[in-house]
Amino acid sequence: MPKFTLNGVELEAKEGQTIIQAAMAAGFEIPHYCYHPDLPIDGNCRMCLVEVEKMPKLPPSCTTVVTEGMVVRSNTDRVRQSVQGVLEFLLINHPVDCPVCDQAGECRLQDYYMVYGLHTSEIPLEMKVRKRKVIDLGPMVVLDQERCVLCSRCIRFFDNVTHTGEMQFFGRGDHVAIGTFEDRPLDNPYSGNVVDICPVGALTSRDFRFKCRVWFLHSTDSVCGGCSTGCNMRIDHRDGTIFRLLPRRNVEVNRSWLCDEGRLTHHEVAAGDRILRPMMRGRDGMQAPVTWKEAVASVNSRLKEIAGINGGDAIIGFASPSATNEALFLFKRYLGEQVGATQFEFRIDSEDKKVTEEEDEILRHVDKHPNSMGAINLGLMSQELGGIDRAIESARAGRIKAGVVIYYKPLVERPGDAQAEARIAELIGALEYSVVLAAHKADWQREASVLLPVTAWSEESGTYTNYQGRVQLASKAVEPGGDILALWEVFASLLYESGDGLLWLSPDDVFASLAENTPAFRGIVLEQTRLPGALPTP
Amino acid sequence: MNKILLVNIEKPDQKNIAKYRERGGYTALEKALAMQPADIINEVKTSGLRGRGGAGFPTGMKWGFVPTNAGKPTYLLCNADESEPGTFKDRILMERDPHLLIEGMAIACFALNCQLSYIYLRGEYEFIAHIMQRALDEAYEAGILGPSIMGKDFALDLHLHLGQGAYICGEETSLIESLEGYRGYPRIKPPFPATHGFLASPTVVNNVETLCALPWIITNGAAAHAAIGTEKSKGTKLFSVSGHVNSPGVYEVDMGYPLLDFINNEAGGIPNGRALKAVIPGGSSVPVLTAAECDGVLLDYESLLKAGSMLGSGGMIVLDDSTKMPEVLSVIADFYAHESCGQCTPCREGTGWAAKILRNLVAGKGKRADIDLLLKIADMMEGKTICPLADADVMPIRSFVTKFRSEFEALCAS
Repeated sequence: MPKFTLNGVELEAKEGQTIIQAAMAAGFEIPHYCYHPDLPIDGNCRMCLVEVEKMPKLPPSCTTVVTEGMVVRSNTDRVRQSVQGVLEFLLINHPVDCPVCDQAGECRLQDYYMVYGLHTSEIPLEMKVRKRKVIDLGPMVVLDQERCVLCSRCIRFFDNVTHTGEMQFFGRGDHVAIGTFEDRPLDNPYSGNVVDICPVGALTSRDFRFKCRVWFLHSTDSVCGGCSTGCNMRIDHRDGTIFRLLPRRNVEVNRSWLCDEGRLTHHEVAAGDRILRPMMRGRDGMQAPVTWKEAVASVNSRLKEIAGINGGDAIIGFASPSATNEALFLFKRYLGEQVGATQFEFRIDSEDKKVTEEEDEILRHVDKHPNSMGAINLGLMSQELGGIDRAIESARAGRIKAGVVIYYKPLVERPGDAQAEARIAELIGALEYSVVLAAHKADWQREASVLLPVTAWSEESGTYTNYQGRVQLASKAVEPGGDILALWEVFASLLYESGDGLLWLSPDDVFASLAENTPAFRGIVLEQTRLPGALPTP
Repeated sequence: MNKILLVNIEKPDQKNIAKYRERGGYTALEKALAMQPADIINEVKTSGLRGRGGAGFPTGMKWGFVPTNAGKPTYLLCNADESEPGTFKDRILMERDPHLLIEGMAIACFALNCQLSYIYLRGEYEFIAHIMQRALDEAYEAGILGPSIMGKDFALDLHLHLGQGAYICGEETSLIESLEGYRGYPRIKPPFPATHGFLASPTVVNNVETLCALPWIITNGAAAHAAIGTEKSKGTKLFSVSGHVNSPGVYEVDMGYPLLDFINNEAGGIPNGRALKAVIPGGSSVPVLTAAECDGVLLDYESLLKAGSMLGSGGMIVLDDSTKMPEVLSVIADFYAHESCGQCTPCREGTGWAAKILRNLVAGKGKRADIDLLLKIADMMEGKTICPLADADVMPIRSFVTKFRSEFEALCAS
């Protein structure tokens, strides 16, 4: 562990760490474009040059490995002049079209200009090198070659992370430009990442560009609901609308990346009609709106009545692996302890087997639910039933009479989705009394005795357990509309109605009970479920 | 005057292996093969031979950096990507005496225990590729290259690789990148090619002229080589002279030969009775010397450095008093702007910017402030890049502008 000083402050570096890595770990900012913690070092931008004692030239801090006793300075006039020089070079041929550039507000050229530049441009307009603009690079990315600082982050991403190598430099000298061969589209499931890692406005998101200026957006830390990987993401939203999803770096899970499907899941949440108020089937067989109070009282008494007559075996709790641990915990507690139900299941399509199965070697898993591992750990998997098919069979045979069913359509589409939804519809059709909790409207929900509108992903706080068993917190980003309640709240109300001694006022309260009562969560404090997430102690 | 390299250069049949051998060719290799590799390296060290590509690094020391226990093969790469403006010395060696290079490379390969070696030939030298390839084929046929060189239990394959016309591929690490099939970008050092070069293996990159000097050293001994030249610059050096001289061409002189004598005696003096104005002694990337500064300067590494310039590749450009210096600089700056690989920001943007300012100045559209801007750009580029291409642009810009400032000012309207 070599010790060194940076601007007079004594720091310790890990063996083999370069100056910029050690400085960033200690909270020092060294300006840079090409360095990225999850990409191989390239050293081309020359922004991060620093002064090191006994070195005649200014070495790049991204490539220079810290050695014992090294004396580094990043705040001298010589370094500042060098940074300013590089910045001036980067800007001479830049179009400076910030007013119409989507990167404005989160652009490294803008940021560093305000800190290090503030110079007057000395190059007349007609001297600038012109390059191509608005090049369509497929479904996720739009390229503007003039704004590019040629840091090669995108090239290195495709070379070293996806190993698809679509992008390359073309030309030489100040006519170098990035691009794909013959402008071919970026056709790989991770292409959206290059928009995030582009430090300037050269690569912008086809999905997000021109939708909203970034300074109007609010950010909330969340976890992707698209599959069992549980990539850490940031939800950028404004006035209840999600505008984009960005990765949050978590070295243990997704590093700095997201897959394109996960990146676009907010469109799935926003698509289709929402159920806005509780509905109950009347004597005429038609569903009609009721208040939550009426619905909760009715559900509680009917379930207990059926359990009283037919026993707990006649009641099934069919959970969704897209629900949070908090909601699933209260769901099980209510049905198991208050109603006395004995049948629990969540598997429509062998989620328990797919949860750890990789779809590719980078991030994606085959199971398109964020919390199958949580559902397993909470004991929602029944050996006896072994999946929805046996549950339907039992319901048809009259062994199961009533059920509480949570259903979320997966946010990432797969060909089997419609079939899976049809199985849920079959189960509802076969039950005498059914309570359906869902976010989005679907035709089959008309068969339900009670239909309760609940929050979708991003609308409630809670934890998900990913394929590694890592418990990760996703915070609430947007308010649901109508009379929609958070899923955990519905079961908290039912527990209250039923007379459970505990009272939960927030998902944090629920997590505390959950951690206390469930072996797979024992000892985990909510704070630990933020970065990098909490693994249960073995 | 000693002749080490150009002994047989005027003989038109020298390309033929039989004639080459008749004149004593491949006897040095034979002698070397009977020696211990370590002894050959020592011989080269004692000879005082320094790299003739431009940097002048001692060749024997460079070979000594190659680890012998790396567990990986060692590669020798011949840098024949001669593209510095004003330099055409390697060309004549390969064009007229290709077997000399092959013999030199075979000696070096044996000394370095290298069994696979490449000649990286400049793309524009395609016509030389045919000559060189024929010589290689002859050498294979004669058993000088191949599974057992000259009957010795030592295999050597020597391949010719033609570049695609990029000046930057003459920089050793981008030569390696290019040879590996990548874009010709210089690599960040360390690690150096001596340990992590071609295919991440120990690699030596030597210039054509350097390798061609080896047969003579082996034949005549290190002491004979060390006896030629000055205290620190040993042997002879090829100079390719162009510009305002009566006899432009390639000349071999002892290190330490006086610069002005060279221009007047070897290169035939300046035509039409004009006076000398300036000399670029070592290729376009070295600082220009004014006529006054040339006084008493000797053609060796130390003397030229002391005079404020460099020996470089030996590509000498002589300029007489009719020369418009801003125009010369503009041509030089255009070259570096065109040849910058575009990897590092300062060089990519700076070379292009400086070239444009100079074009404007020469066209009479410049301002006085542009002259200082050129010097500022030079400061912004110098020493901030991975390879020395930016510095190669900085040196002429700074020397031309400071030494001939009045000519630049005269071009500005006010």
